[in-house]
Amino acid sequence: MKKIAPRQVLLFLACIAPAGKLVLLPARLADVAKNDLLFPLLLHICVQTAAVFCVLLAAKRETGFCELLENTFGKIAGKGLALLFSAFLLFAALLPLLEQKHFVQSVFYDTLPSVFVFSSYFLFAAFVCAKPLSSFGRVWDIAAPLAAAGFIGIFLLSAGSADLAALAPAGAAGAKGFFRGAASACGWFCDAALLVPLLGKIEYKKGLAWKGALCYLAGGAAVLLFAAVFYGIYQETAVNQLFAFAATAKYFPGVTTLGRIDYIFTFLLSLAMAFYVSLPMQGSVDCVLQAFGRRKVLAPILGTAAGALFFGLALALDYRFGDVLTVFSETLFWIFPVFCTVLPPLCLVLRRPRKHA
Amino acid sequence: MRKFFRHLPMKLWLLLLGLVAFAFFSNDFGLVDIQKTAIILAAGVDKTEEGFALTAQIAVPKGSDRTTGGTSSVEIRAEGKTVSDCVTAIFTETGWVPKLVFCNLIVLGENAVKEDAVAYLNYFLRNDYMPDSCLLAACAGEAGELISSVSAIDDASSLAIEKLFSDAAVKSGRVVTVTLKDFAIGYYGVSKSGYLPFVRMTGQRGGQNDSAAPPAGGVAEEKEQKVYSAEETALFSEGRMVGLLSPEETLAFNLLKGKVFAGTFGAEEQGEPVTLTVVKNDGHVSLKKGPTAELSLSVTVRLCCRGVTAPVEDVAADKVTEEIVKNARETLQGYCEKLFTTCKACGCDVFFLKRALYRSSLKEYAAEKEDFLGRLEPVFKTEVRSMR
Repeated sequence: MKKIAPRQVLLFLACIAPAGKLVLLPARLADVAKNDLLFPLLLHICVQTAAVFCVLLAAKRETGFCELLENTFGKIAGKGLALLFSAFLLFAALLPLLEQKHFVQSVFYDTLPSVFVFSSYFLFAAFVCAKPLSSFGRVWDIAAPLAAAGFIGIFLLSAGSADLAALAPAGAAGAKGFFRGAASACGWFCDAALLVPLLGKIEYKKGLAWKGALCYLAGGAAVLLFAAVFYGIYQETAVNQLFAFAATAKYFPGVTTLGRIDYIFTFLLSLAMAFYVSLPMQGSVDCVLQAFGRRKVLAPILGTAAGALFFGLALALDYRFGDVLTVFSETLFWIFPVFCTVLPPLCLVLRRPRKHA
Repeated sequence: MRKFFRHLPMKLWLLLLGLVAFAFFSNDFGLVDIQKTAIILAAGVDKTEEGFALTAQIAVPKGSDRTTGGTSSVEIRAEGKTVSDCVTAIFTETGWVPKLVFCNLIVLGENAVKEDAVAYLNYFLRNDYMPDSCLLAACAGEAGELISSVSAIDDASSLAIEKLFSDAAVKSGRVVTVTLKDFAIGYYGVSKSGYLPFVRMTGQRGGQNDSAAPPAGGVAEEKEQKVYSAEETALFSEGRMVGLLSPEETLAFNLLKGKVFAGTFGAEEQGEPVTLTVVKNDGHVSLKKGPTAELSLSVTVRLCCRGVTAPVEDVAADKVTEEIVKNARETLQGYCEKLFTTCKACGCDVFFLKRALYRSSLKEYAAEKEDFLGRLEPVFKTEVRSMR
């Protein structure tokens, strides 16, 4: 089986994973944690760095997640747990997907477009879900430089307009603001869980675990920098700017004369995000495939089913995105730490099958 | 048969793909025909007895047979209980779908700014398709009248007004510019203060007549052409206009922000007027213990011209005498003092010093936030240097 190269994993962690945190998250944090938005972000980045380290260390054993589960808990319980994790990944896929949908509809159109303008994404999602996860190493090779170029472009155009003094005084939102911010952000930090279905598909080389953790930390630092610039630009009105990375670069003086050149970078980041958003769905389908095999038959069926399911959800929840956000950030936020923080270290203690002589 | 069933999932998938692709490409993507779109260039918002009046200046593409360039426009006025109602009224009365994507100017009428101005801006702040880099201004009289007036210098009044807020105008120190975003930040911040350029219009005699053709057999309706000025600055506290800075105070405000380059101001030498050009400007206002506001201003000037005849040696020497420097310093300090007194009297924290206190220490802010502006004492440091 073709495996994902260490370079590709590192590119994903450093460049693609941070892209998913640049849309709604900064405004959401500005709403609950005000000018202290960096602290909950920092907490999540540190926790996820440790979790990513654990998953990559578990990848050293070169055994698939489902195989580990079956070997530890028995065949039936293992399959059941794999299905549970698959269900979690489906749940985790909803927020970034709807976020991306609203982003596209609001930023790339100048009137509220029909919900169908985003439907082509579900074709794409169904296609990627049908492909084996390991084939996406090459996608990350291509998407990561695009994401990096997009981020650097947006950051350079935005930084000059930011008043970073707006982040002071530290602690103004108090402990309540911090904990509410941390709870709200849970839904956006499931990167370690996204790596779990890749266990057994990563070509482990010496030092990958700590290199991966460092790359994730570097990506996290980029998210922190962006959040600081975003709050520095919008300050008390940051809560109103739902689509952060499309909103910060427009104050660059050159934009007045040249037009919205920042959209070039926005498009680059959006392209990388399209792959990132589909990853939980892919992971979910892959977990079922790991548990039940028959990849050739099940992969297109499950891929289509996942695409159709999310298309239906996107239609049904088109006018209820606020409710979805509330569910993810206030009601069911606790699900994320269970699968994204507790599960990764547990991967290290799951038993791998004994090698037969 | 077995072969058929083996490939059934892929065939179903392709069928579904085809169906969704058909559904996707058979819609119009929600795009509105340009002929049915009202591209709003500027909006004027006024208070009415019922609620709000919105005057939108809508760009109208010129036919290819016209030889003149520029942008022609029509002004549509609509009333409603909210600004959104007004926008809807424009749509229902004209059939045009109003688009705010190109709206670069919002003007608030004098009656509107006497109340909480943010109530009038609420619609624009919420609108996802409205650029928050849009310029904001208050005006004397009705904003609708200003937007509907015939400009002496441009086809559309809004384009003429926007010229007042160009980068060159800002560098001259004669006007302030404020965007929707900046005003909202000031309003929602701890200072709850802000400022807007205050636009006045005056009649221009002897200018070009309105280009509208006279009705057949009738007399051409002559609309007085207008010119606009925005040298005054409206001060806001908690969204309400509480005061007005004179042109001199506006200049001092811009000098204190350190933004002026090539602006001019007047001084005197032996009782005769001279005009000085600012070639370098540095300024800042900082908060010290007390609470004290330190207003530091430093300008480097050169002689622009004298109000009296000067010998050619004087023109060649281009010298700013000590007397002029001293007089210029006194003049600028006078402007700064007046500016500070006006802001303090009307309760507008135009320098956002309360915000500076909040950012520096939560504890001190909690102790001093009550009547902060009232207790604030100024210290002026004004320095004028000659270029030579």
